[in-house]
Amino acid sequence: MDFDMTKPVPETQPWSEKFWEGTKEGKLLIQVCNDCKSKIFYPRKYCPECWSGNLGWMEASGKATILTFSTAYGMVEPKFTDELPYTIAYVDLEEGIRMMTRIVECKPEDIKFDMPVEVVYHEREGFFLPYFRPVKK
Amino acid sequence: MSKGKIAIIGIGEVPTRNMPERTHWDIVYDTCMEAVRDSGLHKNDIEGVISVFPQAQPKIAAELSFGKLPEELGLKGCKDAVSVNAGGASTSNAIRLAEQWITSGVAKAVLVHHVTIHSTIAVPDLINFFAKAGVDLQWEYPYGTTYNIIMGLMANRFMYQSGCTPEEMASVVTALRSWAAKDPNSFFYGKEVPSVQKVLASDLLNTPLHKRESNVLGDGGCAMVIVSAEDAKKMKRPAAYKLGDSVRYFSGTCVMRDFNKVAEGFRVTAKEAMAQAGITKEDVSLWNCYLAYPLAHPMISELLEVAPPGMGGKYFLEGRMSFGGDIPWSSIGDAPGRGHTGSGVSSACYVETARQLMGKAGERQVKNCKYVYQNAGGGSGFNNIATIWGKEI
Repeated sequence: MDFDMTKPVPETQPWSEKFWEGTKEGKLLIQVCNDCKSKIFYPRKYCPECWSGNLGWMEASGKATILTFSTAYGMVEPKFTDELPYTIAYVDLEEGIRMMTRIVECKPEDIKFDMPVEVVYHEREGFFLPYFRPVKK
Repeated sequence: MSKGKIAIIGIGEVPTRNMPERTHWDIVYDTCMEAVRDSGLHKNDIEGVISVFPQAQPKIAAELSFGKLPEELGLKGCKDAVSVNAGGASTSNAIRLAEQWITSGVAKAVLVHHVTIHSTIAVPDLINFFAKAGVDLQWEYPYGTTYNIIMGLMANRFMYQSGCTPEEMASVVTALRSWAAKDPNSFFYGKEVPSVQKVLASDLLNTPLHKRESNVLGDGGCAMVIVSAEDAKKMKRPAAYKLGDSVRYFSGTCVMRDFNKVAEGFRVTAKEAMAQAGITKEDVSLWNCYLAYPLAHPMISELLEVAPPGMGGKYFLEGRMSFGGDIPWSSIGDAPGRGHTGSGVSSACYVETARQLMGKAGERQVKNCKYVYQNAGGGSGFNNIATIWGKEI
């Protein structure tokens, strides 16, 4: 069967490009509303709280905790089977933002709920995806 | 929404199977004609047709959306036709639109139907569709997520917080398949009901989801005829009256979905729908839950207060929601029992709700079935729609 084996890159919007530019420099940027001070994730064209277009960016610490996770062992798209097993997680950043990510640099059985993690970047076709790894004690 | 403005008075359905020789139009003819005959109406009494959008099937979707069905079936009295798409919530919205057409005078009788054929879709196309539909292409898809993984994320957290065990989770499959084994329209009709041990022995796809806890895609279709509650009463035929309808939106992107907001949404919509119907949870004869995956059932049973907090999984393990148990629950076995027909699972659930209230459910008939809770959720779970249906108005 003829499967598309191309690994996907993020389909960006003009207002999210700054986020991806930041990752190239090792910065995890969070969009902020300069009027109502909301922290916004994922980046929007206008603030989803007050509809202001006066938006800026702040750099996050890159520290987070694992809200939940699921480790895949099979039945993923063929383009991802070479990476099995891998763990997808929701992580809560210190800044109050929740992201989907991968947990790396540890065995799946060592991943725990509420575990502290920190951002690392995984390069794919010029994009640097924010992955997270356990914080070393 | 409204109490008692419409009623389902006719239903039709074909067995869910992988039968590539059965065309889309085979199913459309068979289900729609059966539903109209079951209603006691003449074909030309149908004044509106609403198609539940077939996902990943562009050819039939275009034909239905562009109005071919009334012409194909010779519905000479038809005034309008349309398709409705909200993923798994399409049927709920099709029924709402039927209600609007009926109450505004556009149509006196409306045919709502669904058809899906997965078996003729090329496997790469099918995989690609389900990998991307409902998954954000910027913030989720590049990480290699799937529907199974999204469900795993939710289930893992629920198990961590509630203490629900893998055995209890696996027992949901046993419960759902016990209903499906008695349902002639199910993919698993007459098949062995897998034990908890057998479910847990199947391949682990992604934690905590085993292969037997995921869905099997199938072909299928069903239809229903809807009229005003007043007309249904006059017709003196078995009917299912819509008595309550409540909904909450959660999020379009899975990672943006606040688990607490989802939980509150399930609680509130059930209470609001029951309040509209003038009933309490003790009056509900059947909890016909549509959740697509078995892993969500214990959590929802607790949110609906059918099971006490922390007891949802135990109730399933004890067989209380199984066929023959004391809590009639998802009597077609939800998607894991019926076979997944895309947006059609919720259509099949509504048809089953009507079938139970009409007293036509055969071996699965719930005794003294008077009120049914029927929910549906759209896309990858962007909302929850709770409805209450009654045998009488």
